[in-house]
Amino acid sequence: MDLFPTIVSWLTYSALLSLMALGVTLLYRTTKVANFAHASFVTVGAYVTYTLTIILSPNPYVGVPVAFVVVGLVGLLLFYAVLEPMRRRNSSAVMLMIATLAFDIIMLGVTNIHADYLNTAYKVPSRNVLLSGLDFKFLGEPGILFVALGTLALCSAAMYLLLNFTTLGIALRASMENPSLSEAIGINVSMMLAVSWFIAGGLAGIAGSLIPLWTEINPGIGTILLASIFCASIVGGLEQIYGAVLGGFLLGLVDVVGTSVLASIVGPWVSFYEPIIPLIVLSATLIVAPRGLAGLLVRRGN
Amino acid sequence: MSALDQLILFTADLLALLAVYLIINIGLNLQEGITGIPNFGILFAVAGGAYFTGGLSTRLALSLLGIRTDLSPIFNNVSVLALINPILISQPLLAIAFLVLFLIVGGVAGAAMGLISSAPAVRLREDYLAITLLAFGEILNVIGIGYKPLIGGPPGVSVPDVLGWAGQYRFYAGTFVLLLVAIAIFAYAGYLIRTPLGRTLRAIRDNEVVARSLGKDITRYRTVAILIGSTLCGIAGSLWVMYSGAVTPTYARFDWTFLPWLMILLGGIGSNRGALVGTFIFVALDKLILYYKYAFAGILPFNIIWLNYLLLGLITILILIYRPEGIVRTWQREPSVVQAKR
Repeated sequence: MDLFPTIVSWLTYSALLSLMALGVTLLYRTTKVANFAHASFVTVGAYVTYTLTIILSPNPYVGVPVAFVVVGLVGLLLFYAVLEPMRRRNSSAVMLMIATLAFDIIMLGVTNIHADYLNTAYKVPSRNVLLSGLDFKFLGEPGILFVALGTLALCSAAMYLLLNFTTLGIALRASMENPSLSEAIGINVSMMLAVSWFIAGGLAGIAGSLIPLWTEINPGIGTILLASIFCASIVGGLEQIYGAVLGGFLLGLVDVVGTSVLASIVGPWVSFYEPIIPLIVLSATLIVAPRGLAGLLVRRGN
Repeated sequence: MSALDQLILFTADLLALLAVYLIINIGLNLQEGITGIPNFGILFAVAGGAYFTGGLSTRLALSLLGIRTDLSPIFNNVSVLALINPILISQPLLAIAFLVLFLIVGGVAGAAMGLISSAPAVRLREDYLAITLLAFGEILNVIGIGYKPLIGGPPGVSVPDVLGWAGQYRFYAGTFVLLLVAIAIFAYAGYLIRTPLGRTLRAIRDNEVVARSLGKDITRYRTVAILIGSTLCGIAGSLWVMYSGAVTPTYARFDWTFLPWLMILLGGIGSNRGALVGTFIFVALDKLILYYKYAFAGILPFNIIWLNYLLLGLITILILIYRPEGIVRTWQREPSVVQAKR
């Protein structure tokens, strides 16, 4: 059996998944919240690309930087309009999570309204659409493979440089580890939280903006991916930001390669149950390593 | 149809929805409000009750009525039900016995789903737990769509009509049954909180360490809370299937996880009466929105369903920021039994 197409699809999927999971882990580290709104962040990114492709230019990659900014701003909106007022009132983590769930519902409504609007105003289909026809070919493979991997490498490197070699990054890490002490030495913790929401939103936006080149999008795409994003993030370990990349590639491997190998052995009916695979991986990991894989590799420093 | 008939139908429909959500919300409140387990996966138990009722009811009815047929109860659903329904319509008592049986099926299925989700729930920390349970909620839809013998895949199946004997008053009879079950469960939940079990659960919520030092087995009590809560959710799912007469694998996180959370937030988390008030306010509000938003249809360039999403999300956020203890605030949450500061 020819595994090459499967490997291509594994690498593309894993790179996108890692980008999305990076944001979830970052937000967990800073805000101590599982951000359910990540689903809609991804969807908004995807529709930024689709909308720009329709009204502006046929090159789908134009949407990437725009999606970074737009979804970053959506993240800021969620933080300043919802989470910051709640944080000042000492809301519990569960309440903050319900708030992100509620924000996700609002954004789901907004994207659906936007999709309906595209449909009536521009007379184009806006659900279950795919842009891979507009992608370029490189070495006979779809461009999205290289762009997704390159973007992931670039974003992780940028995050690494930011967190380790800039004053902003060090302040950011300080406020992750000990918010009250950071506040005492004059770090604006609220500002640092805002920065991490912008970055996490931006990363989700970039990943989302590349999705229409890889698979069909509709306003529910983020909700469908959310379970996998969370699984990648947890499997990698919420304690370590780069664990998300590890988790993304592992989950992608089991999901894409595992399903296709299993389908060729057992029968094609297996692929119906593909959405359950992330959950099996998640349960298995949490039994073996309750703090995720990165928790096994890295000694926890406090 | 006269205006009065319309009003009666509207009220009956409202009360049926109220009853189903009240049962679910009592189950959720028992877990989050009384025991402190943030279950973001109650969809799992509700869908479990609904799908297993859908999958097993026709098969059970066939074998219990002793009907021999080569037709598949799922794939030849309509023809098989044509054999079963006339019997149930002519014998109301038998139909009610079946209703109770299917209710038990739903409850057992819900409890089974609860048992599955309790495996992570008793071990994981709050944040990991919320994510895991939310993700688990989606499993049953995947199985419902992929495994055709359960409920026939995407088109779904109809179930034996256990309310058919009421003829044209079928839906009123359904509303009556739903309300009866909901009232019984409401009374049971009020009683449960005051039993030693209820006090232990509240003690665990308020201070796990103190509860443990008094010799309480935290893991066991948390499992019990999830089991009872999930059983109630399963019963609600089963009732909803019998009321509407059919089931499809489309039970969504929005309807069966987000909305129940919104409702117990509205009334105030931690009190059964709060759950009742929250459910009532929400269901009435939702029906009114439904009633009035069609006035805007045609003016707006999009499907007005999405206005619901905007409105409900916004209401939730406003409550969370300004009234986290619930908008009613008439009832305090069930008092602490362990006086300790967190």
